[in-house]
Amino acid sequence: MNPLRLVVSSSGAAMMLLLSGCASTQRMEELDTAGALVSQVETSPRAGVAAAEIAEARKSLDRANRLAESRGKREDIQFEAGIASKYAQIANEKILTAQARDAIEKGSAERQSVLVQAREREAQRAQAQADAAAQRASSLEQELADLKAKKTDRGLVVTLGDVLFDTARATLQPGAYATVDRLAAVLKEDPSRHVLIEGHTDSVGSDEYNQSLSERRAASVQAALFERGVASSQITAIGKGESTPVASNDGPGGRQQNRRVELIFQ
Amino acid sequence: MMNATISRTHLLASGAITVCLLSACGSVSDLTKERLARTETSVQQAQQSIGNSEVGAMDLQRARDTLAQAQAALKDKNEQQAVRLAQQAQLDAELAVAKSQSAAARKAADEVQASTQTLREEASRTTTPPDR
Repeated sequence: MNPLRLVVSSSGAAMMLLLSGCASTQRMEELDTAGALVSQVETSPRAGVAAAEIAEARKSLDRANRLAESRGKREDIQFEAGIASKYAQIANEKILTAQARDAIEKGSAERQSVLVQAREREAQRAQAQADAAAQRASSLEQELADLKAKKTDRGLVVTLGDVLFDTARATLQPGAYATVDRLAAVLKEDPSRHVLIEGHTDSVGSDEYNQSLSERRAASVQAALFERGVASSQITAIGKGESTPVASNDGPGGRQQNRRVELIFQ
Repeated sequence: MMNATISRTHLLASGAITVCLLSACGSVSDLTKERLARTETSVQQAQQSIGNSEVGAMDLQRARDTLAQAQAALKDKNEQQAVRLAQQAQLDAELAVAKSQSAAARKAADEVQASTQTLREEASRTTTPPDR
């Protein structure tokens, strides 16, 4: 061998020695930590989002391992292991970010479906309310029919006959209470319902007297309904006097028919 | 003769590299200076990116400290140390940004989840039949 070559070789060897220093065989904590971190991110199902960082982490970790095997300088091994750890940590944060974004996407979809469900339930509820209202309305019609309401152009008309009032007075007789109770129940059931109360008389007596009597009788029915809790906004009471007979005032039968209070459900 | 000439050149070069590595070169390479400048930019960008957020603040501080050490090493003409420290500072800056981003994403995810939960509770409340 050329002597000069030998010098070169020994020079290289000396350099190696100086650089590597005293290598120890003991495992380094940094190396173990880096190894654990790198394999953690490598095995993550979302590793794809941090492929570049994971590749760098793996490269540095391999370098660190090779240095450790070849009894490399402790400082160099620590440096490479540290770099591997850093890359692995960055990769981990990127994976966490991707997972959080997945969760946001999933959560948004879930939120949307909850919204849709809520809207469907709301629609069902509205339908149920509409059904109940229809049911109520039909029971109202039934109730009025039971009270012998007549369908007229002005609406359903319930007539309280003369016998339900004291003679020539506005006071309701107890016999009217059952009917008034039911009318009150009907009106309270549906607060949107309005009733017009009209008092009527026969033609006996002065117009003024009859007008006044018809007003007082209408007012007395109105008061009875108020007492039973019907809202004042639902009731209008007027007196029509003898102006609107339903039968002839010539005979007692016809006059009795004319003495009446009508409740008109509009 | 020819062989000897090559070997002599080789020897000289080898010696120069050794000297350079052991005692640091007389002049720092442009590549190293560039490397440090790049790291400095990264650290500044990380600072802007994470703002006053606590998440990543520690990593950012470490990046700043390590960058300062790298700059000191550069002054001492310790090039290898400067490059290594710059790389560490660079990665700490990147880690700071990655942490603040993942924290923000997690926060957003939690908010979406919470609002969905609220919505679900509200929905189940209004499903109970209205009082008559």
